[in-house]
Amino acid sequence: MSATRRGSPPLPELLVVVGGGGVGKTTLAAAIAQALAAGGEEALVMTFDPSLRLKDVLGLTGSGGGDEERVVPRTGGRLRASLLDARRVFDRIVDAYAPDAAAAARIHANPYYRHLAGRLSGILEYMAVERLYEAAAESGRRRIVLDTPPAQQALDFLDAPRRIVDFLDSGALRLARREWFDAAGRLKATRGLRGVGRRVEAYLDRVVGLDLLRDMVEFFHAFEPLLAGFRERALAVEALLRSDRVGFLLVAPPGEHRVAATMHFARALSERDLTLSGLVINRIHPRTPPPEAQAPEGERLMHWLGEVDAAGLVALEERLPADLRRAALPLEARPPTDLDSLERLAERLARSWRRG
Amino acid sequence: MTAPGHRELLLVTGKGGVGKSTVAAALTLALAAGGRRCLLLEADRRESAHEHLGTAPSGGSILPAGERTWLQNLEPETVLDRLVARRLGGGLLARKVVGSALYRSFAAGAPGLGSLALLGHALELVSGEVEGAPPVDCVVVDAPASGHAVGMLSAARLVREAVGSGPVAELAGRVETWIGDAERCGVVVITLAEEMPVTETLELLAALRAETGRAADLVVANALFPPAAEPVEEPVPLWVRRRRLQEEELERLAAGWAGPRAELGLLPLRPAEGLASALAERLAAALGSEGLP
Repeated sequence: MSATRRGSPPLPELLVVVGGGGVGKTTLAAAIAQALAAGGEEALVMTFDPSLRLKDVLGLTGSGGGDEERVVPRTGGRLRASLLDARRVFDRIVDAYAPDAAAAARIHANPYYRHLAGRLSGILEYMAVERLYEAAAESGRRRIVLDTPPAQQALDFLDAPRRIVDFLDSGALRLARREWFDAAGRLKATRGLRGVGRRVEAYLDRVVGLDLLRDMVEFFHAFEPLLAGFRERALAVEALLRSDRVGFLLVAPPGEHRVAATMHFARALSERDLTLSGLVINRIHPRTPPPEAQAPEGERLMHWLGEVDAAGLVALEERLPADLRRAALPLEARPPTDLDSLERLAERLARSWRRG
Repeated sequence: MTAPGHRELLLVTGKGGVGKSTVAAALTLALAAGGRRCLLLEADRRESAHEHLGTAPSGGSILPAGERTWLQNLEPETVLDRLVARRLGGGLLARKVVGSALYRSFAAGAPGLGSLALLGHALELVSGEVEGAPPVDCVVVDAPASGHAVGMLSAARLVREAVGSGPVAELAGRVETWIGDAERCGVVVITLAEEMPVTETLELLAALRAETGRAADLVVANALFPPAAEPVEEPVPLWVRRRRLQEEELERLAAGWAGPRAELGLLPLRPAEGLASALAERLAAALGSEGLP
């Protein structure tokens, strides 16, 4: 992209697009990657949850849940796209770190793993950074744009690697890895916990039953050979996110009532030593003159929305650090439907960058 | 099937950013206006329901929020801890269990337990089994994002299958029977008339049918622009173009979902300006409130 020429922030090698649900992250990630490709660079966009239309544009339709990279049609092979699938990434890591195929199979078959792999909070977020790490290792000179999952708690994404490391280091894991069960499948009394501990276990048994606990303990036993590699990798992922190869692009809605959440997110990034490359305030309702008395209701509503967004922009400007690069994009009548409209969106973005 | 206005539990779900919490608050107010005693149960760490009901943040306790209306914010994990502690008779032992590392990693990792605890709490509320709680006829749950709604509905079965016996298994069994009764418990899906939310809604409706064998009580299309009077003069205003896009998506929704639908117009009100009450009036008809006591 002729981005730098137009005063936009220098795009890092790896750009992570973050923000709350429904703010247009996925479309912007695709637009930026397409503009990079159109500018002659090799680019990869990794996305979680594209709309059907965007999937179509990126040539990802008919992809049967696989997360392999695909060449985006009509980009001269310079743009590639992949659809992220947390479960597949997790499965691959298990395969890579398990000492042998039998150990991997034991983990894959464990009921607790089958639940955990898809549902444990933070796993989806962690797998996104894992995938970035994988792709960065293969990257060479190419640019990667990572769209992030529609996290309910968007901060989960930033903390995902640390949480995995903490979890692996926690006493909980060591406890869970102990021999809890005897040959008869009954809970063993554990030495370290003594009297109260035995009663605690007895109550745990009564309250939650033992089958699930048994699956869990088996899972951690099976997972044990993988732990060192997994932990090391989570630390490497965390280091990568902090490195100067990575920058974050925060996408935020303009509304007045969303300002606090946006500021919270921006602060969270800087508290974690992550580089906030820029802020895009997206889908701003245009400001229109006050409607006349007989104006249609729709026009009055659009005016009201324009005022609410304008108030939000003022409130944001008051709070944003002066040196943060920001761009403001208007609400489009329709989302981009092809590569050209994606590229035009990226052009508008490139033109609207400025400092406070 | 009776109208959703008669349920004991309404699970309100939808993609992030579609106004799920606003509509959940409006539903609560509409039911209360129809004569039912109603509690809005919010399961999100970040409280927002109180802004719609004009109360202080709940902070975990039950707050009165108008006539026949209450509000409670509870994280599933907290409910689980309380539940376990109560089953253990409170006291030091209960605190030891809840504080133990094994229990913590179990509670974080065990699928469905948090959801079960939340629904169990709702069931105990409508059954008058929660000490110190007001008597309520209906609990409206502002549920986590739509991906989890099916998981919430299957949580009780999942836990009952995983946990052989004991008080949690017992509760799972009770909740499973309750949730399975479409006369007593219903699902309301909120969406915007935009591509991604409509697609996700249709996927959710299909998953509900496939995995729980049930249909939603109501699908609400939120924040619509009003129809434009034809013919429209050039250049076509932005709001008219947005309305046209919304109409396409409403058609797609109707083509994929023949069940009850409600359309809510966009209102020029902020949450603190009575948005939820204004929406409640518009929702009353969709709830089939004619038969309310």
